[in-house]
Amino acid sequence: MTAPVLAPDLPAPPPPPYALARLGDVGGLLLAGPDAEAGPESWVDHVARLGAPPSLTGGEILAAIRASGLQGRGGGGFPLWRKLETALAAPGSPALVVNCSESEPASRKDWTVCSYRPHAVLDGAAAIGRVLSAPEVVIHLHGDSLEPRAALRHALHERGDLPGDPAWRLSYGPGGYVSGEASAVARYLHEGVALPLFSSAPLARRGPSGYPTVVSNAETAAHVAAVLGAGADRWHAAGTASCPGPQLLTLCGAVATPGTVVELAGSATIGDILRDAGVDEPPQAVLVGGYAGSWISGSVAWHLPMEPASLSYAGASRGCGLIGVLPHGACGIAETARMVDYLAGESAGQCGPCVHGLPVLAGAMRALARGARSRRALRQIRRTAIALPGSGACSHPDGVVRLVASALEVFAEDVTRHRRGTLCRTAHRAPLFPLEAGAR
Amino acid sequence: MRVTVHVDPTRCRGHGICALLFADALELDRWGYGRAVDATHEGRRSLVQARRAARACPNGAISFTVEERQPAS
Repeated sequence: MTAPVLAPDLPAPPPPPYALARLGDVGGLLLAGPDAEAGPESWVDHVARLGAPPSLTGGEILAAIRASGLQGRGGGGFPLWRKLETALAAPGSPALVVNCSESEPASRKDWTVCSYRPHAVLDGAAAIGRVLSAPEVVIHLHGDSLEPRAALRHALHERGDLPGDPAWRLSYGPGGYVSGEASAVARYLHEGVALPLFSSAPLARRGPSGYPTVVSNAETAAHVAAVLGAGADRWHAAGTASCPGPQLLTLCGAVATPGTVVELAGSATIGDILRDAGVDEPPQAVLVGGYAGSWISGSVAWHLPMEPASLSYAGASRGCGLIGVLPHGACGIAETARMVDYLAGESAGQCGPCVHGLPVLAGAMRALARGARSRRALRQIRRTAIALPGSGACSHPDGVVRLVASALEVFAEDVTRHRRGTLCRTAHRAPLFPLEAGAR
Repeated sequence: MRVTVHVDPTRCRGHGICALLFADALELDRWGYGRAVDATHEGRRSLVQARRAARACPNGAISFTVEERQPAS
């Protein structure tokens, strides 16, 4: 009998802590399946790949959503199960709206999931509808986002009267930045005005109709389908402690293909994600979370895990999952000034602070970018930025202030240079970040 | 009783009357629009002030909620 080999085995190489999948890659939970060439996945392909949606009761679905820890992916990151329980506990029968109206000019994750995986969105929407016993499920999107519109319409046609499906209603709203905000969507469906609403109670407790209104993001709905298909545990394990499950990210700015959507499973740093997108070295700065998000300096962001707990250290949040790359040599002040200009123009014009404050902020940022009267501009920015947060019906002004504050911090050296009146050679280059939602 | 005032910023047009009538709870921002800085107050006097502020607003932007204190048991 031979003695057992005592030499310790070499430790098994650790599994890669993350996986990045694109549309059509095998690895992803949401983006697996046919690639972009194939167009929207048909019902037959969807069922062949994933099987028919499981027939579960509302209680079972809610338990699975709760076990998964799924957080809403529209930007707020609020746990879906808590929103659903709020709606169930509130008086009146809850209404469900799946919000496919992606309004961030550079974000394309909802566009992608609706255009290529419409049945995943609808499966998830039907499941959430069952939890709420909603008589009707509204799928709301910008009327001008043509591909998702065509894909979802065709998908509903394919499903016909599928057993277990609710009554569907497709709703087309106007385009624009604030019209995709949850309360604006709820208000549009109730009174035809797509502007944010002031309310002292959350929508899930009492919407504009007086009934609880759950507005859920399209990606969130698709994740619900994945939770039920893959099992809550497996889905949960594809994420991190502070952001369970896989996440869809849009990469824009100076990456190989701006507008790429990737599905991240596990914990990856922003550097890992960017390396996969053709960025080899830490860029000058990274914009995280959307145009109402935060700039982080490239060297910090490169080693920062793309998850809420780590991002909050850098003063950022996941937002809509946008990662924008500002290369070395580009002018962060000028890029930010253009974004603030755009955001100020997209205000609903309802609340005084937004109406009066944002144009001042935009004008001051423009002046700073030009290097004209920049001392005065900086004073104006500081004064306005103190007065704005928390003053509107929605968080639009708060987001703009967050963007400007992070820009002044990250581009502090450029601010000094612009203030001294040193000519900025890059400020007049074409914008790196898209400034209208027209492309969708 | 506990009174909480809310300003609906979408209705506020910056008349500024509310901040005079309920100065403890409301103030005007840089541009003269009302905002609740210390929204919740105790007592009947606060209820009177909140009601006055709500009635005085030409745009109906001020609302308030009243919570009756539960008797200690």
